Amino acid sequence: MMVYLSLVTSAAILLIGYIMAMSSKELVRLLISLELMFGAVFLALMPLFTVPDLTTSAFSIAVLTIFTSGGELMILIAAMVTFSKKFRSISTDDIVAGGDSP
Amino acid sequence: MDTASLAMVAMCCFAVLTAFAALFTKDTFYSALYMSATLVTIAGMFALNNVQPVFVLITFIFVGAIGAVTVALAAMYRDPKPKIQIDFIWFLPAIITFAAIFNAIFGLKNVPSAFSGSEVSAFVENYAVFALFFFALAILLMLAVVKFVRREEV
Repeated sequence: MMVYLSLVTSAAILLIGYIMAMSSKELVRLLISLELMFGAVFLALMPLFTVPDLTTSAFSIAVLTIFTSGGELMILIAAMVTFSKKFRSISTDDIVAGGDSP
Repeated sequence: MDTASLAMVAMCCFAVLTAFAALFTKDTFYSALYMSATLVTIAGMFALNNVQPVFVLITFIFVGAIGAVTVALAAMYRDPKPKIQIDFIWFLPAIITFAAIFNAIFGLKNVPSAFSGSEVSAFVENYAVFALFFFALAILLMLAVVKFVRREEV
């Protein structure tokens, strides 16, 4: 019951984060949506803790996931602050990638 | 249904509701606050199922550090005239994906139901590898940030 609940909740939060990321017009909202999606990923790890032989592995995976995603979000925050200083904007419309013209 | 299951149902509902609130609110500042509430609830679910180390990690790192920075950034870049930012066309693929995931989850067989606490002592045996990993991660983070700053100065 609890495993099903955690997985369904994880899927729901992941998709809410996905909708938020696809429709965000500001970088802060994009950041919030990514954090929601990472939260959903943590919740999806919960069933691993139900298998007694896997609890140590599950904890290792959780630690790695939390620290790696934390580092990734910190880089995104640094990029966002730099972007705002340079372009005086946090709008996603101002972001160009690769060969796009501004 | 026992008390733990009821608490889990309530926490799941609360997490989804706060995630929806983060999506539907116009103000980015409140959106960041609702996101933090969602993450605290997710961490709380781990605590409820006797996995306290993960609760501590999520609360300290995600809510305490990154969540607080996000709330501060949202307050700093707060729009004086906020407007709703939802593209309703993306609801259709999201609902289809959710239906597929829901179907896959309830098709699972032999799902264990009892939670057992994580073995921190066994994890600590491999501490040297993890310490090396975190050291490498910290160097990578610092290199990336230094690169941003140096590009900014040019």
